Amino acid sequence: MRLRNSSMDGSDGSQLFEDTSRAGSGSQTGYRNQQAGPQAAGFPGQSLLSDPMSNLAMAYGSSLASQGREMVDKNLDRFIPISKLKYYFAVDTVYVGKKLGLLVFPYMHENWEVSYQQDTPVAPRFDVNAPDLYIPAMGFITYVLVAGLALGTQNRFSPELLGVQASSALVWLIMEVLAVLLSLYLVTVNTDLTTIDLLAFSGYKYVGMIVGVVAGLLFGKPAYYLSLLWCCVAIFVFMIRTLRLKLLSEAAAEGRLVRGARNQLRMYLTMSIAAAQPIFMYWLTYHLIR
Amino acid sequence: MSGFDNFNTDFYQSSYSVDDQSQATYGYGNADNPYNKPYGQYDYSQPMGYSSPGMMQPQQPYTGQIFQPTQTYTPSPSQSMYSSSFDDEPPLLEELGINFDHIWQKTLTVLHPMKAADGSIMNETDLAGPMVFCLAFGATLLLSGKIQFGYVYGISAIGCLGMYCLLNLMSMTGVSFGCVASVLGYCLLPMILLSSFGVLFSLQGMMGIILTAAIIGWCSFSASKIFISALAMDGQQLLVAYPCALLYGVFALISVF
Repeated sequence: MRLRNSSMDGSDGSQLFEDTSRAGSGSQTGYRNQQAGPQAAGFPGQSLLSDPMSNLAMAYGSSLASQGREMVDKNLDRFIPISKLKYYFAVDTVYVGKKLGLLVFPYMHENWEVSYQQDTPVAPRFDVNAPDLYIPAMGFITYVLVAGLALGTQNRFSPELLGVQASSALVWLIMEVLAVLLSLYLVTVNTDLTTIDLLAFSGYKYVGMIVGVVAGLLFGKPAYYLSLLWCCVAIFVFMIRTLRLKLLSEAAAEGRLVRGARNQLRMYLTMSIAAAQPIFMYWLTYHLIR
Repeated sequence: MSGFDNFNTDFYQSSYSVDDQSQATYGYGNADNPYNKPYGQYDYSQPMGYSSPGMMQPQQPYTGQIFQPTQTYTPSPSQSMYSSSFDDEPPLLEELGINFDHIWQKTLTVLHPMKAADGSIMNETDLAGPMVFCLAFGATLLLSGKIQFGYVYGISAIGCLGMYCLLNLMSMTGVSFGCVASVLGYCLLPMILLSSFGVLFSLQGMMGIILTAAIIGWCSFSASKIFISALAMDGQQLLVAYPCALLYGVFALISVF
């Protein structure tokens, strides 16, 4: 390769490459640079960067990468609204503590309304009644890990089982949210419950499930049944009190008896959503405690 | 030369061939196939659309116009110095970005969980230290007879991805994936202590459980401390520490069982 260089051009035979920052180097040196560029790639990268052809290629490549990234972001935003999701994760430790307490003991709480600030609901950080996605997400992951632990103590553990547990719980969750959405559509309820809200509410039952399974692991089957019963009743009351305000009309939500087929239908809908939670809680945990 | 600024895919075919006149060939054997690439790693000749390679017009000076976009690329002064001679190149470690002093500083931050962390230490994403720690963890596992590099790798990949999504959703400013991986990797250091204990003593007794719990707490506390200070999140330290504790708990499971 070197021979070609020196034979081809008389001027700079000693250098392997040319510094193209000098203007007017002439066409030959330009060619030599291109030719020497690949050769010099064996050297550390500086000579690579002084080769204008590879500069161009690099600039093109990086712009392509940023274009690709923009496209991914745009499409991702179409499927998963990132900014809306961020609202559900704007939580802090105090909120999470209070919410967990509410999920286990909802009987003393009096005001269940979500506070608004100029038509937009306030972030969960500032209102304990607002739904969030941190607790359901962490609850789901903890449930999968605790299930793995429980299966491990029964010597039935293998890493594939973790995946099976996770996917079956996820599928049940998705089916439940779809069923609730369908029934809301059929009953034609005018509500501001979004899909993500429903996902959050359905995810709250994982907390009770974890409490039950951990109690069962530590103290045996009676403890499992007792704690599961407690958590089932608690989540039932929690769901009724939360959904009542969202699904029923004003008057019925306050507890006054309002006749009418529509209101009755809505009340049945609320009760069935709330009743589905304990069923799922038992269904997803009974095989973990033997 | 409007095509140069847009970098659209038509660029090479349409505009470049105009300038092709001025720099047609490499001058090696015009009789050869012009697309013959003696240098295997460079095939930019093909996308450049050399439609008329045989034409060589040395009269037209190489103006460098086609490379206009790259003229705005200002090489840092060090680079133009480096291109001059081999001896002026930076030392290998500096070039690779491995700075032992910084690695040591970050390690000390992890080892002192009670001391407040400086948020700026995570500005440079350094994956060399975490790599070393991961390999050391795998090595200590190997010493106790568990050949589970695959699990370590898989769990750390999934865990880093999960933490990346969670932190991006929870914080005001986002994080880069490299930063998350770097922090989680550094805070794996106490776990190496646990697995080296596991070589000597069995970790399945009461002592082992207490030690495991303490080490998981240590790891997740320092990881959350670094994240909180780097991302300026307030009142969320426990919330960040919990997923870290889950991740390190899985690592501890591997060490113990």
